Amino acid sequence: MLHGEYKTPGGKLVQVDFELAGDRLTNVRVTGDFFLEPPEALDTIARALEGAPASLEEGELAARITQALEAFDRVELLGFSAEAVARAVRRALAP
Amino acid sequence: MNLARWRTYRWQLVAGEAFDPGMQMALDEVLTRRVGAGQRPPTLRFWEWTAPAVVIGRFQSLRNEVDLEEAARHGITVVRRITGGGAMLTEPGKVITYSIYAPLELVADLSFQESYAFLDAWVVEALRALGIDAWYQPINDITSAQGKIGGAAQARRFGAVLHHTTMAYDIDPAKVPRVIRIGREKLSDKGIRSAERRVAPLRQQTELPREAIQEHLIRTFAERHGLEEGGLLRDELEEARELVRTKYGTWEWTAILP
Repeated sequence: MLHGEYKTPGGKLVQVDFELAGDRLTNVRVTGDFFLEPPEALDTIARALEGAPASLEEGELAARITQALEAFDRVELLGFSAEAVARAVRRALAP
Repeated sequence: MNLARWRTYRWQLVAGEAFDPGMQMALDEVLTRRVGAGQRPPTLRFWEWTAPAVVIGRFQSLRNEVDLEEAARHGITVVRRITGGGAMLTEPGKVITYSIYAPLELVADLSFQESYAFLDAWVVEALRALGIDAWYQPINDITSAQGKIGGAAQARRFGAVLHHTTMAYDIDPAKVPRVIRIGREKLSDKGIRSAERRVAPLRQQTELPREAIQEHLIRTFAERHGLEEGGLLRDELEEARELVRTKYGTWEWTAILP
C-alpha cells in the first residue's frame, strides 16, 4: 500500500492511498480535511485515478481528475484541487 | 452591510437540551432537510453535549485521524459529520457549538469561501464586543492574537445550507493530540506561524463563564438578525433518533472511509 500527502498552502490536507497492479494505480482512496460539494465527487476523484499509469506526470494526473469532475453540473473543491491530489499521488510514488 | 440579507428571514432559536454525539449529527441532518423543504423556519441551534466526542469530517480517514483505542480508553465517542473539514474534540461544558440552518438563497451568490466568513460575522462581532481580539481567518477559522478559537464547516445539502462552528471554551489543548493524530505534512506551512496557530480557548481570553458568552452570542444574533424562541418538534426528534439507528450510530457510516 502506497501513501502520499500534500497540504495546499493556506488550504487543507489531501491523503491518497493506493496499490500498484503492474504499473497502474488500483484501490485508490482519497481522504483529507478538505471541503467538497457534492460529497459524491470524492468517488469520482478516486475513480479517475483508478488504472492510471504510475508513469503519469502531475499535470496528466490532475487532468484526469478535472475531466472526470466535468460530469457534475456544479462541483466545488475548497482547500484543495485536482493538482493537490495529483501531487499527493506523485509523492506516494517517489517519496 | 449584508444585514438586510439576514433580515429577509424570521430566525428561530433552538437551545438548551443536551444530546449525545450521534443525536447531534442526526439533528443537523434533520433540521437541514426541514429548512430545505420549507417545513421549518431558518434556525440557529446551540448545542449542549451529554458526552465527550471526537467529530471527524465527511472526507477524513477514520484511522488516519483518530486513535480509536485511546478514544475508547477516555470514554470518547467517535462520530462522523456530513460536512468536510478536520477532526475536533468536544467535551460537555468545554466548547461552544452552534449550527445555522438556512435557505440556500441566503448564500446563493457567495462563493463557498465567502459564505464561511459571512455566516460567522455575527460571532466575530460578538467576541470583539467582549474585548476578545477575534477575527475571521479564511477558509474556516475564528482566530485571535492569542491563537485559534474555533473552526466552521459547511455543506449545501437538501436544498439548504448547514453551517456549524465549534469554539474551544475550556478544552485542554494538550489532550487533543492524544486522540487526534496530527501529521507532519499538515503542519508543513504552519511552521513559522506555530505560535499564532496554537489553540487559545475562550476561557484564557475572558473571565466570563461559558453560559454568559453563549447568552451574549444569542443576544448579538437577535439584535443583528432577529430571533424568536423555538424548540425541536417531537417528530424531528423521532426522525433524528431513527437516523442515529440507521446512519450516525453505525460503524458503516463512521468508517465509511476507514
